[in-house]
Amino acid sequence: MTNAVEIENLSKDYGKLHALNNIMLNVPEGTIYGLVGANGSGKTTLIKVLVGALKPTVGNVKVLGLNPLRDRWKLRRQIGYMPQTPALYDDLSAKRNIMFFGGAQNIFDLEKKTDEILEFAELTNRAHDLVRTFSGGMKKRVSLCCALIHQPKIVFLDEPTAAIDPHLKLQSWNLFHQLARSGVTLFISTHLMDEALLCDKVTILGNGEIIAVDTPQKILERGKTIIKFSENGEVKESVIDSTPGSLAKELHRLGLKQDITSISFQPDNIENIVLNIISEKENSKPK
Amino acid sequence: MNALIITKRVLKQLQGDKRFLALSIIAPLIVIYFLKLLFDAFPPIVPITNFTMPIGALIVHFLSFLLCAILLVQERTRGTLERMLISGYRRTSIIGGYTLGYLGLATIQAAAVLFESLWLFDLKYGKETIFILFMVIWLLAVVSVMLGIFVSTFARHEGHVLPFIPLIILPSVFLTGLIIDIDALPGWAALIGKCLPLHYAVNIIHEIIKPEYSLHNTYLDFAILVGYIFLLWILASLTLKESE
Repeated sequence: MTNAVEIENLSKDYGKLHALNNIMLNVPEGTIYGLVGANGSGKTTLIKVLVGALKPTVGNVKVLGLNPLRDRWKLRRQIGYMPQTPALYDDLSAKRNIMFFGGAQNIFDLEKKTDEILEFAELTNRAHDLVRTFSGGMKKRVSLCCALIHQPKIVFLDEPTAAIDPHLKLQSWNLFHQLARSGVTLFISTHLMDEALLCDKVTILGNGEIIAVDTPQKILERGKTIIKFSENGEVKESVIDSTPGSLAKELHRLGLKQDITSISFQPDNIENIVLNIISEKENSKPK
Repeated sequence: MNALIITKRVLKQLQGDKRFLALSIIAPLIVIYFLKLLFDAFPPIVPITNFTMPIGALIVHFLSFLLCAILLVQERTRGTLERMLISGYRRTSIIGGYTLGYLGLATIQAAAVLFESLWLFDLKYGKETIFILFMVIWLLAVVSVMLGIFVSTFARHEGHVLPFIPLIILPSVFLTGLIIDIDALPGWAALIGKCLPLHYAVNIIHEIIKPEYSLHNTYLDFAILVGYIFLLWILASLTLKESE
């Protein structure tokens, strides 16, 4: 599988602040790639370097085999970018916003394609309404349409589902999966750890450094599971790794005696796991 | 071609923001009226006709500069400027689109200020003089739009535009020949005045409102005003960063 994004030894400094430090990353084509981290961890900076809005201090970056700075005009036809803020014109309608940003690429039959993308985002009935009358979630969807109107091969989405309700979030993720199935690579940043589970692969970023790169399942397995059971009326608790093997081993140790009447599992949630991974990494650094 | 798409969007936005549109046309008219009240209080010995049109030009210069700079800075703070660049719009298209878009507003401002001044101050000029006065104020408005675009490239938010007012607009009031002849100023101050576009607009206005004017005397000043437009276009294109 070829890589849509290749990053080697990337660092970005803002004066004395190291926003990104020695990032090495490959994003396979056609995947939903999650960039997870707390606010200020460097997610937006990394995305802005990848779309060519920021110059790296050091390191090499390739997106679809092109340099985002040197080959910016060739690349901009092939990438979509949805910034963290909606970055739309409030005084224009949803349709005019999409047509305006699509206009930069001289797309053939722009109006028809705009209507199609509005339908895809379930915004057809609000197409002619001013964006200022839209909710935060709807603005995000218009913003997504602006990023997709020229049918890019890779889309960079910076916190696409932040501050929107669970229903719209689910709807957005359905759209992302639909896009991925059509062969588009999605590079999604989020501080919402549960969203990491919806990606094919995840990179955890902390203080501008890569903390972990893995599949969501493997990351979940790095958490702990608490087993609570009652034996002869006494409630006991043991903490095991979240792997199936660990659970079996624990149950064998317990022997599953007749006296054990109930077992409940309380797996670590993804947020705790990610936060623990970050703090373990921080603690392992030489003081 | 892409510049025209941006122009169309700017015009649509202006059309949508009726409050902004009304304020940017009514505000200079109100200021001209205040100027009339002030001049009426002056003793008759003061040649107020020498000041009326240059001050009208200053008002258009100030407002066009400020409005354009602030609106372009808003594009930056809202993230739409960055999005335009990443979507594939080029710097020259953005600057060209903006200039053409705000030119319409600048034209209306120039015409409103000119005709209100003529009416309020009962100025009796020939058709040719009025046309040339309009052209000067309009050209100055275009320079102001370009200056606003150029200045906006140094501002991260709207507040950053404000220091440019004492830096560019206030020296224009004192050093460009608007109030006193530039030759009466110390050499270095006159030099600063000659670097400011309002000086050339004031020169043309002073020449053209003479009963026996010579168009020939205004050619160089007109050429310099046009030169400012191209110079600021180039400077703005160079300073508008595509990546930081």
